Amino acid sequence: MNTISRIWPDDANGKVPYWVYSDPDIYAAELQRIWYGPHWLFCALEAEIPNVGDFKTTTLGERPVIVVRSAPTEVSVVENRCAHRGVKFCQARKGHVKDLLCPYHQWNYSLRGDLQGAPFRRGVRGQGGMPPDFDPKNHSLRKLKVEVVNGLVWATFSDETPPFRDYLGERFWQHYTRVYDGRKLEVLGYNRQHIPGNWKLMQENIKDPYHASLLHVFFVTFGLFRADQKSATEVDPTGRHGILISRTGKQEVNDVTSTMRNYKNDIRLADPRILDVVKEFPDDDAVGMITVFPSVVLQQNINSLSIRSIVPTGPGGFDFHWTHWCYADDTPEMRLRRTRQANLFGPAGFVSADDGEIIAMSQEGFAKSPDEDGLVIMGGRDIESVDHMVTEVGIRGMYRYWREVMGPL
Amino acid sequence: MIDRDAMRDFYDDYYTTLDDVRLEEWPAFFTENCLYRVIPRENFEAGYTLSTIFAESRGMLIDRVMGVTKTQMFAPRYYRRFPGPLRIVSRDGDSVRTRHNLLVVQTLIDKKTDIVLSAVCHDLIIPDEDRLRFRERIVVFDSEMIPNSLIYPA
Repeated sequence: MNTISRIWPDDANGKVPYWVYSDPDIYAAELQRIWYGPHWLFCALEAEIPNVGDFKTTTLGERPVIVVRSAPTEVSVVENRCAHRGVKFCQARKGHVKDLLCPYHQWNYSLRGDLQGAPFRRGVRGQGGMPPDFDPKNHSLRKLKVEVVNGLVWATFSDETPPFRDYLGERFWQHYTRVYDGRKLEVLGYNRQHIPGNWKLMQENIKDPYHASLLHVFFVTFGLFRADQKSATEVDPTGRHGILISRTGKQEVNDVTSTMRNYKNDIRLADPRILDVVKEFPDDDAVGMITVFPSVVLQQNINSLSIRSIVPTGPGGFDFHWTHWCYADDTPEMRLRRTRQANLFGPAGFVSADDGEIIAMSQEGFAKSPDEDGLVIMGGRDIESVDHMVTEVGIRGMYRYWREVMGPL
Repeated sequence: MIDRDAMRDFYDDYYTTLDDVRLEEWPAFFTENCLYRVIPRENFEAGYTLSTIFAESRGMLIDRVMGVTKTQMFAPRYYRRFPGPLRIVSRDGDSVRTRHNLLVVQTLIDKKTDIVLSAVCHDLIIPDEDRLRFRERIVVFDSEMIPNSLIYPA
């Protein structure tokens, strides 16, 4: 494994050096230690593969995998790489199969990834064939550890990853089960975009309520997420996971909005159905944005529910896959409401398009200045949950954890 | 009956308006009650209605323009739209269903030109208040990975 020769700045919690976003050695080490290390990565909604033999392909870190229902109550996740010659043999995004078959030499695997057949293993008319030491048991597809947790499929490359509930910690388990409460889920649809910025910037973005209350004029103006509203910014004890919680407010001039140059009191919606929000959870929180390190953002933003997964493609970019979903027992009206509110999110979202743009602009800003530092001291230097949004604590927490995993640095 | 010349003029006008970024004129190309979607092919084929851009009325299109021009932050860019040959799919009374391919490309400052959408448009056009308008416009795009953002309409 590569050694890291970089030195973290003295103001350890307050600064983030720009080499974390652009150094190819750092990126290579992140793949090994974070993405293929002891962390749970989001794979799929269970609802995407309801029947035995249903599969979907996805990418975890940079590695292609197949997520397949291998038994009525079992999901398997295997690397999409033939054990023979390394072919990414499954090219479809979704489908239904009896077994997993590589087209190159017809090696054939069970739905759990065990090698079942290698043609001409015993030769043809006494010629060729595999040597006597060939044992199919040693040539299965690489299998990942899997947990299906209230409708979501999670996988990890490492045997050392703790159970998913322990990985979240008790407080974040409560946040997770507030939305993923065991009810059946259904897919509403997908969006996919490539964002030309380092993958951690997406985690930072959803750990940073300071920006949300300023950059996103749509949020600010219509009171969906704004600094004068009751809110909280939490980090788990390790610092790696975070949640932004907020209640909604009104389009009103007050002591806070009057100081915000991006608050616009003069704009009105011609068709305000996009803001036809209904309360659907027991508490009064209108927004709960969870970042589960390192791979995913679990979005509950008014009635829009989505899972945004991060697929790093190098130090300077990542693919961003959005899976919008609803509860299986939602009324047609509720499905339409969620579909309508999805206009706020995704690559054309009134709010989310801002994020893709600012991440690209960030990467352009610091990619060629690796030895400079960024500042994350809004709200101080502590790493403790707070009951407001004027803070960068979530970013500080993530980098404290990142330094532990990557270094120590 | 809407003749082919009138339809051709309608589309030329529509795409010129968008290419010239006269966004405030864009909603008037649609009927008061309308359906507008820019939707990934995988959603469309699976029967999912979730769209990248979705509007159910001219009001929502006006709000889309307001969002782009007054609330969103994005790097400056040029969009240009290249529609393919127009096919009349069916006629029902005064209304016409059409389809055509559409390529949308963008150019950002200092960057090479990129394809934003490679799409097919399924439209329903009707005469409305002395002009032609879209009653429905469904832009189904093949593009698997949008290059960051989709800012302007298709």
